[in-house]
Amino acid sequence: MRRTAALVVVLAALLAVAVVPVATPAQAPRALVVQSQTEPPGLDMTATPATATSGVIFYNVQEALVKVDRHGKLVPWLAERWHTADNRNYTFFLKKGVRFHNGRELKAADVKYAFERALNPETKHPYAKDYEAIGDIIVKDDYTVTFALKSVNASFLQNIARAGSVIYPREAVETMKSHPIGTGPFRFEEWVRGDRIVLTKNPDYHVKGLPHLDRVTFRFITDPNAVLAALKAGDVDVSLFGLGPEHVQDVQKDARFQVLVGDTTNDVILAMNNSRKPYTDVRVRRAMTYGINKSDVLKGAMFGMGKILGTNVDPLNPYYVDMSKVMPYDPAKAKQLLAEAGYPNGFDTVLKVAPQYYYTVRSGEVIAENLKKIGVNVKIEQIEWGQWLSRVFREADFDLTIIGHAEAWDIKNYANPKYYFRYDSPKFQELFAKSEVTVDDRARRDVYVQMQKLMVEDAPVVWLFMHPRLAVAKKGVQGLWKDLPASAADLSEVAWAPAK
Amino acid sequence: MRRYAARRAAALVATLFFVSALVFVVVRILPGDPAALIMGTEGSREASDRLRESMGLNRPLPVQYVEWLARALRGDLGRSIQYDLPVGELIASRLPVTLPLALMAAAFMVVAAVPLGLYAATRHRRAGDYATMILSQIGISVPQFWAGLLLILLFSVTLGWVRSGGFEGWSSGVGAALRSLLLPAIALGLFQAAVLVRATRSAVLDVLREDYVRTARAKGLSELRVVGRHTLRNALIPIITVAGIQLGQLLAGAIVLESVFALPGLGRLALGAITARDLPVVQGVALFIASTIVVINFAVDLVYTVLDPRIRYE
Repeated sequence: MRRTAALVVVLAALLAVAVVPVATPAQAPRALVVQSQTEPPGLDMTATPATATSGVIFYNVQEALVKVDRHGKLVPWLAERWHTADNRNYTFFLKKGVRFHNGRELKAADVKYAFERALNPETKHPYAKDYEAIGDIIVKDDYTVTFALKSVNASFLQNIARAGSVIYPREAVETMKSHPIGTGPFRFEEWVRGDRIVLTKNPDYHVKGLPHLDRVTFRFITDPNAVLAALKAGDVDVSLFGLGPEHVQDVQKDARFQVLVGDTTNDVILAMNNSRKPYTDVRVRRAMTYGINKSDVLKGAMFGMGKILGTNVDPLNPYYVDMSKVMPYDPAKAKQLLAEAGYPNGFDTVLKVAPQYYYTVRSGEVIAENLKKIGVNVKIEQIEWGQWLSRVFREADFDLTIIGHAEAWDIKNYANPKYYFRYDSPKFQELFAKSEVTVDDRARRDVYVQMQKLMVEDAPVVWLFMHPRLAVAKKGVQGLWKDLPASAADLSEVAWAPAK
Repeated sequence: MRRYAARRAAALVATLFFVSALVFVVVRILPGDPAALIMGTEGSREASDRLRESMGLNRPLPVQYVEWLARALRGDLGRSIQYDLPVGELIASRLPVTLPLALMAAAFMVVAAVPLGLYAATRHRRAGDYATMILSQIGISVPQFWAGLLLILLFSVTLGWVRSGGFEGWSSGVGAALRSLLLPAIALGLFQAAVLVRATRSAVLDVLREDYVRTARAKGLSELRVVGRHTLRNALIPIITVAGIQLGQLLAGAIVLESVFALPGLGRLALGAITARDLPVVQGVALFIASTIVVINFAVDLVYTVLDPRIRYE
């Protein structure tokens, strides 16, 4: 029997030897490993609106005529300038010498092709609606292209700055889903399904001196604990998405890392089904707003990181007005409003949330606790994301739900009576239509202020908080965006600090 | 024997047919539509309707199933919605991760559990036995993902010996590839090893009570010969049965651990495909795993006849 015991010892020793220490391969000084939470469902931004796709490809591999920069400003990009005399005809003058990654120069015909393809229903472009205002696209010469709009459209420039508006070479359109080609600072190199996407420096990039990095690897790690371990073990340099506030607090104590807490366009809301009783009554909807302590929610769900919202216009929007204190937490007033609406004893309601987004469940728990005090009994039902999209988002089969709306300039959803929360206000729709044809900046701001006031008054949903950007990077990584005004992870200006 | 093998092969085909129909129906009655998932909250309803139509998801279910089955029989499992690659190719690309992972975990399980079980049985109701049983109890109680995280914390974060996750690929060298699978294999094998220790111990204990063991001892054979030749071989049938079932469970456990270790294996492929409602991939992977388990069971049955020549399948 001693042999058996000996065998066990030998095996244990073998196992220990197998785990021989290995030196981690020295990180090339100009390479960066970025953790990404979700693997993209294909790399073609003209086929999917997924932020997982734009988070890798947009601004890094493919670019548009104009760009939303790190401060949220619209700046000329592939077009070096544009001109409009009547707000109907926009002429873009393309930057000369911009080359696609296949070596061919970008010409006006490519711009025409990209937008005509987006408008063609056959191609199933996710944002086709955004280009409806375009009547004609006229190529004047190789570097000049004019968009003739059917009517004045104040969002036109915003729309052609979106991820779906990138310019790509027509000869590469068939392979965009797995091998995107563009004009960006990085070339797509490989996609190891399930593991990583690798980009390499574009030496012919049209912005001189950029990018600073030679190689960027996006690694897909979903589990937040695994992300933390990878950061601490030095296997990834940057985490852009996927770490929650509790993890970020942990990393903040670690001198090896820097934490970026910034603003985003992601508005987290408690949506009420405006077509379903009792939420058809504006008094009930207001009572819900008064009955929820938003700073409790922010503390409970986000450890206080983020900003409390008053409407769906987020702090990064140039027309933002701080409405967060207009309807403060006031349970007595909430109860009174409920009594006026015929619910003196409150009511029972169901909140459907998708745990895929951790903050929805956590916010829901705080809200349920808040609302109990005004007699509203919330039953929380957790459903899987795919079900949420079908049942809540498509079919509007819900009382209450919580979700973050990440798109910039998404106030348009409140002008769509078929949108899942079914807010149907002709007055708001009229204002929104007006904002779309008001090009003058001051006049447009006025309309936006009116819309924000009307939103607060009608209380179609309860705007909870702006989800903060929570990014973690090794000390020494410079040039990352602090705020996220666009759905992108622009790495063109990112570099390692020179070694001391 | 040949007739037995033929019968089992027919049962195998019937099982796979049943599994394929079941998976097909289940993934389609689940609420959640792949087109809606691709479009998320940002694409318009019209865009997602057009996409749904173009994916052929508006046709009647039986028509979709028969078409899928006809193609699957010719070896074509369809194309992934998410990756735009043939499903067969995707599965094949994930096997170089999951297969060695499962095999390493199985090796760890057998190598750790069988000697320990034998040891415990021969030390019945003594300190060694109790210590082994406590160890095994701990192994059963620790959730796999947690064991994985603890291993990462110790070996990657604190000691820096291995990477915290990810897979460089076999092209970066066999040593490097095996090293990146080592921690997940141990985490994966731990629970199964803990179970197998108990199975081994009780199987061996049963045999040790047999008359022929007493006879062997009475003949004056060394304890090693008694345990090694007379006991172990006779105890192997229940051990192999348990281990065979566990091999299938290793594949299921890989789903969790591949996420913790960010490994691009079959489990993560399946998980991602279910979340994204990538129906062709879900069906393909389910069919593949089901066939593997059926084949393992078949192999286990055949091993019985080798271990115990008295077993006949005619």
